Amino acid sequence: MYRISGFQTFLAVILSTLSLIMLAPLVHVLSVSLSSPLYAQAKLVYFWPKGLQFAVYKKIFSMDEMWRAMGISIYITVIGTLITLVITSMIAFALSRTEMPGKKMIVRLIVLTFILPAPLIPGFLLVKELNMLDTLWSLMIPGATSAFYVIIMRSFFRNVSGELFDAAKIDGCNEAGIYFRLVIPLSSAVIATIGLFHAVFQWNTYFSALIFIRDKTLYPLQVLLQNLVAKKGLNNFMGEVQFELNMPVTPEMMSAGIIIFATVPILIVYPFLQRYFVKGAMLGSLKE
Amino acid sequence: MKRRLVIRDKWILILFALPGLLYFLLFKYVPLLGNIIAFQDYNIFKGILHSPWVGLAQFERMFGFDDFYRVLRNSILLGFYSLLFGFPAPIILALLLNESRKMWFKRVVQTVVYMPHFLSWVIVGSIFINLLAYEGIVNVFMTKLGMDKVDFVSDGNYFLAVLISTGIWKEVGWGTIIYLAALSGINPNLYEAAMVDGASRWRQIWSITLPCMMPTMVIVLLLSIGHILDANVEQVLIFLNPLVRDVGEVFDTYVYTFGLVGGQYSYTTAIALFKSGVGIVLVFGLNAVSRRTTGESLY
Repeated sequence: MYRISGFQTFLAVILSTLSLIMLAPLVHVLSVSLSSPLYAQAKLVYFWPKGLQFAVYKKIFSMDEMWRAMGISIYITVIGTLITLVITSMIAFALSRTEMPGKKMIVRLIVLTFILPAPLIPGFLLVKELNMLDTLWSLMIPGATSAFYVIIMRSFFRNVSGELFDAAKIDGCNEAGIYFRLVIPLSSAVIATIGLFHAVFQWNTYFSALIFIRDKTLYPLQVLLQNLVAKKGLNNFMGEVQFELNMPVTPEMMSAGIIIFATVPILIVYPFLQRYFVKGAMLGSLKE
Repeated sequence: MKRRLVIRDKWILILFALPGLLYFLLFKYVPLLGNIIAFQDYNIFKGILHSPWVGLAQFERMFGFDDFYRVLRNSILLGFYSLLFGFPAPIILALLLNESRKMWFKRVVQTVVYMPHFLSWVIVGSIFINLLAYEGIVNVFMTKLGMDKVDFVSDGNYFLAVLISTGIWKEVGWGTIIYLAALSGINPNLYEAAMVDGASRWRQIWSITLPCMMPTMVIVLLLSIGHILDANVEQVLIFLNPLVRDVGEVFDTYVYTFGLVGGQYSYTTAIALFKSGVGIVLVFGLNAVSRRTTGESLY
C-alpha cells in the first residue's frame, strides 16, 4: 500500500511539473505585458505582474491594423470553416452511399493524397493561375478540405442508421432529402469536430498568407504578429508610443502584449474545442 | 419508374461529390503534375507550355551544388533528432497519464498539456524567442544559478535544441491522444490476472501496457520516418535568422527562400521532388520491412 501511494505522489509531482512547464511561458509573457516598464526593464518580472498597468493594451487597442488583422482572421475563420463544412460533408455523404458510382476508386485516390504531398512551387503557380494571389480566397480554398476530414466524416455518416434511409426512401425521399433532413441533423457531433479543427487551422493561418498575400491590408493576425514581434518591426511603433501617449512602454512589453492579444481568442474557445477534439483525433487514429 | 429514380439518385450523389472531387483534382493532383517544371527551365512569363525543357539539368545542378549537401545534412539532423526525442516523449507522457489514478487530476493535466497544440507557431515562436533571448528570463535564471549567459536564439550550436524542445513543448500532449486511445482498449482482466500472479507495476507496464501500445507505436514510427526530411516549415521559418542559417536551413525553408522568394522555380521544385521521392521510398520500404517483421502495416 505504501509503495503505491509513494508512486502516486511521484507521478503527481512529475505531471504537475510538466503542466507548469506548459503554463509558465504564457504566464510570464502575460505578466511582462502588465508590469510597469521599470520592473520589466530591470528583468524583475517573473510569473506575476509588478507595478500593474495596462498601457500596453491601451496602445494595442488603439492600433487600427491590429483590429483589421483580427477582422481578417475572423473572416477567414468563419467563411473558411463554412466552405470546408459544405464541401467536406457533401463529398463525404456521397462516398458513404452505396448508390454512388466509382466510390471505391474515388476513396482510394483521396487517401493517396495523404502519402503524396502537394508540392509548394507548383501549388503556388496554380493559385497564381487561378488569379487568387492577394485575395482572401487563397487562404480559404487551397486548404478547404483534406483526406483526413473526408475519411472521418464518411465513417461517421456510414454509422448513421441505414434503416432510417430505407424508410425515408420508401416515403419518397431522394438522396438530397436524406442529406438535408437526416444526415446533417444527426451528425452535429462530427460537424462540430471537423468545424472546430478547421477553425483553429484557419485562425493559425501563417505560411499560406506569407506565400499568397503581399497586400499589407489583407494580412491575417499571425502574419502581423510575426512582422511586429519577430522581425523587430516594433521599433516603428515604439517611437509613436513615446510621442503620442507619453507612456513609456518597452518593446519587450509591447511584443508580450501583442502575443497575448493574439492568443486570447484561442484560449476563449479552447474549452469548447476540448469537448470535441479528443473524439475527433481518436476517430482519425482508429480509422488509420 | 424505380429505375428512373435510381438513376436520378445517382446523379444527385455525383452532384454532391462534385465540389470535393474538383477540389482534390485541382489542388492535390494538378500540383503533382506541375512537378514537371523540375525538368524545365521554367519562366513565369512563358508558363509551363512554353518554357524550355532541360531534362535532368536541374538535378545535375542540384547534386553539384554545395548548398544542397548543407541543406540535406541539416534536414537529416533535424529529422533524426526530432524523431529521437519527439517519438518517445508522448509515449512516456501517455504511460504516466495512464498510471495516474485520480481522474480529476488526470483530466486537469490533459487539459493543460493539450493546449499548446492549438497555438500557432507564430505565437509559440514569439513566446520562446522572448524567453530565450540574451536578456530573456531563461538567461536571468541561469545567471542567478551562476551559469554563463547563452544566446539561444542566434547561436547555431543551440538551434537544433531550441527547435526540438519547442516542438516537444507544443506537440507532446497532443501526441498522447493516439496512445491513450490504444491504452483505453486494453482489457482490465489482463492487469487483474497479472496482479494475481504477483507481477509488479513495472512488470505490468513492460508485459501488458507496452505490448498493447506496440501496433500504434509502429504506425506512428513508420509515418514519422517517412516524414523525416519534412521539417515544420512554419516553425523553422520563425526561428531562422541570418546567424543560424548555416545550420538551420532545411529543404522546406530552402524551397521557400530560393524558390518562391528568389524565383528559382524549377531548381527548387527539383529539390522538393527529390525530398518527396526519398520520403515515399522510405514509407513504402519500411512498411514492407515492418509487415514482414512485426506484422504491422499502414495499409
